[in-house]
Amino acid sequence: MVDTQSATVSPVLHMESINKSFRSTKALSGVDFMVPEASLTVILGPAGAGKTTTLRMIAGLEKPEAGRVILGGEDVGQWEPRERNVAMIFDNLALYPNKNGYENIASPLVIMKEKPEHIRERVDTIAKTLQITHVLGRLPKTMSGGEKQRVALGRALIRKPQLFLLDEPLSSLDAKLRIELRAELRRMQRDHGFTFLMATPDYHEALAIADTVIMLNHGKVVQVDKPQVIYDTPADRETAIFVGAPQINLLESVFVADTEELVIESAGVRVAPPEQLAEVVKRKGEGFELGIRPENLILTDVDSAAIKGTLVDIEPLGPKSVATVSVKDAEFRVLIDSKDVAALELGQPIGVEMINVQRMLAFDIATGLRMQS
Amino acid sequence: MSRPKLELVKLRKEYSDGTVIAVDDIDLAIEAGETVALLGSSGCGKSTTLNMIVGLENPTGGDIQIDGATVVTTPAGKRNVGLVFQDYAVFTHMTVRKNLAFGLEIRGKYVLETNRAVEEVAELLNLSDKLDVSVKELGGSELQRVAIGRTLVTKPEILLLDEPLSNLEAEARLAMRRELRRLQSEIGLTIIYVTHDQVEALSLADRIAVMNCGRILQVEDTSTIFDKPDHTFVAGFLGSPPMNLLRGKFAAESGEVSFQKDSFTLPMGGSGATPAGFYTVGIRPEALSVSSADTPAIIGRINNVEPRGPETVVTVSVGYETLTLVAPPTDVLHTGDPVGLDIDYESLVFFGGDSNRREELAVAGRIF
Repeated sequence: MVDTQSATVSPVLHMESINKSFRSTKALSGVDFMVPEASLTVILGPAGAGKTTTLRMIAGLEKPEAGRVILGGEDVGQWEPRERNVAMIFDNLALYPNKNGYENIASPLVIMKEKPEHIRERVDTIAKTLQITHVLGRLPKTMSGGEKQRVALGRALIRKPQLFLLDEPLSSLDAKLRIELRAELRRMQRDHGFTFLMATPDYHEALAIADTVIMLNHGKVVQVDKPQVIYDTPADRETAIFVGAPQINLLESVFVADTEELVIESAGVRVAPPEQLAEVVKRKGEGFELGIRPENLILTDVDSAAIKGTLVDIEPLGPKSVATVSVKDAEFRVLIDSKDVAALELGQPIGVEMINVQRMLAFDIATGLRMQS
Repeated sequence: MSRPKLELVKLRKEYSDGTVIAVDDIDLAIEAGETVALLGSSGCGKSTTLNMIVGLENPTGGDIQIDGATVVTTPAGKRNVGLVFQDYAVFTHMTVRKNLAFGLEIRGKYVLETNRAVEEVAELLNLSDKLDVSVKELGGSELQRVAIGRTLVTKPEILLLDEPLSNLEAEARLAMRRELRRLQSEIGLTIIYVTHDQVEALSLADRIAVMNCGRILQVEDTSTIFDKPDHTFVAGFLGSPPMNLLRGKFAAESGEVSFQKDSFTLPMGGSGATPAGFYTVGIRPEALSVSSADTPAIIGRINNVEPRGPETVVTVSVGYETLTLVAPPTDVLHTGDPVGLDIDYESLVFFGGDSNRREELAVAGRIF
C-alpha cells in the first residue's frame, strides 16, 4: 500500500487493521486507511467489495471483530451509532411526504432543539447553495427527482458532524443530474471544509471528485492514491480493468532473452521492452501480461505496421470511438478520433502501433500485482 | 422511396384530463434495419412513447403505423413488437431453455418448431452451452441475454429496449453493447432503444432522438447531432462535459468583432458586421485548449481540475462566467492559477438568444 496520507495534522478517521466476517464470509480483512480533515476521500470498488460494510462500521451499525475505529482521536469501535459524531447519507434519501422542503431540511435541527432564527439562517444558506430555494414551500410530491435529491442532501448537510459518510449518494439519479450534483457536492465540501468519505462503484465519479481514492476489492484495501495515479499505475490487474473505459488491453507475454524482446504470444507480435519494464520483465521471463491503455495505441497503415490485424468492431462514443482489432488470437482496443471512423470499414486489414510506451504496464499473472522494479 | 418500418404521427399522450402532457405530438419515422435511440432524462416521455408502440398504453392522439398500417387498435400481443425491460423479466425457477421456449409454448407452437427456434436464438446469443443451466446460476449479462433471447425467439420485426443495460456492471455493459451491435448487423432488426445514458445511445444507435418535456428536439445521426445540435437543450445534454453555452451579444470595437456577455469577451478573430440581438454561443469543451501564446484569445483562472484517466476536465473562470475544457492528463494545471485559452473557431455554433434554435451566421469572415 502506498501512503499518500502522511498528513501533518491528525486524521478525522483512522481505520486500523479492521477485520469483519459475516458467518463464514470474510467481509473485511486488514482494512487500514485514514481520512484527513476537510478532504474528500472516495472508497472505490465493485459490488461486494466491502464498501458499505466499511461505512456502516464507521457509523456504528457494525462492530469490528479486530482492529480499531479511531474517530477524532478516540477508539469508537464499541460506541453506539448515536454517540458518534457522523452523518450517513444513503442512495435512497426518503423525505417526509407531509412536510415541505423547508421543514424537511430543518428537521435535524428541530430535533436538536436549535433556535428558530438559527435554523432559518442555516436552511436558507444551504438551500441557496443547492439551488432549491424555490421548492422550500413545496411538498415532495410536487418536486422533480433532482429537486428531491437536493432537498435530501440539504437535510443531511445541515448538520455539522465530524465526518459525512456517503454511500453511493447519486447512484439512483440519471447520468446528467449525477454529474451536476457531484460537482455541487464537491463544491460544498470544499467551501464548508466538510470531511467526506464517499463510497461508489463508479470510477468516473471517484476520479472526478476525490482528493484520495481508496481502492477496495474482496474486502481488502488494494491501493490508496491520488486519482490520476490510480489510473496511471494501478496496483493490480483488477484495478487496471476496473478503472478506465474502454478497458485496458491485457496481453500475455514472454521475454525472450536471446533477442531481448517482448513477445505477445497470442498475437505473434514482438516489441522492444520499454525502459520502465526492461528490468522486471527480464527477471520474470514469463507468466506476465502487458497492460496497454487504448489511448496508447493508434491505427496505422497495415503494410508498414509491426502489428497487423483485422478491424472487427467500432464503438462510437461521441468525439472518440473505440476500434477493436483482431490479431491472431488476441484483440486490441484502440481509442481513435470519431472523425477518422468514416475512412474505416469493418473487416478491413489494419495495423496497430504502440505510442507512449513509457505508460505501458506489466502484471504478474499468478499474483495479479503490477510488476515494479 | 420505401415506406418506413415504424412511423409515429403526431403521437400524443395526456394524463389527468389533459393537465399533464407526457408525449407531445411526436413525429418520428424509423427505417427497416435502423436503430434509433430515444435519449432523455427521466420523465421526458421516452418510456411512455415506448409503451404506446408496444401497446401497453393507448395514445390520446396521433397514430402509430407499422409498415404503413395503423396499429393503434391492435392488441399488444399482435403487433409483432418485442419489448425488453431493464429488470430482465426472466423466470428464475426455470432453465435457460425453458425461459427461451416460454413465449412460443404459450402461443401453442409445435415442440419441434420451438426447439429449433430456441437453439437458433441460443446460438445467436452465445447461450448454447447454457441451455440446461438454471437461470439462478447466471450472472447479470447472461440474464439480460436470456431476456433478449426470450423476446427474439418470437421473431419480432421491431425490438424495443427500455434501458436494457442499466442494471449491469460496467464490464458486462461493455460486452453487452458489443453483443447488441453484432446482433444488429447479423439479423438486421429494427431497434428502438430508450436510455438516459448518452454513451449507450452513441455506441448503439444510427440516429439519436433527444427528448425533453414530451417532445423530440432533434433526430440526427450521432456525429451530426454532436457537432451541430439544433437546440440549446440538445447542446447542453450531449457530451461529457457538455457544450459551454453563453448568452450574449456581438459587438465591434475598432473593427474587431467579439461576442460579449457582461464581463466575458470572446474575440471572433476577424472584422465585419455584427448580427443584432441576443445569441447563445456553443463552445465544445474539446474546442478549447490551454494556450502557449503570449496573447491568448481568452484569459481566465482555473477553478477546478478533474482527472479522468486519459484526459483531464478543467473548469476556468473568465469574469463571472465558467468555461469547461478537455485537456490531456497534466501536472502543470492547478486550481487558482491564471490560464490562457485558445479556441477552435471552426467548431463554434450559435443559437437564437430567445428561440434557443441553432442559426447559421456569417460573422467575422466565417460562416457558423
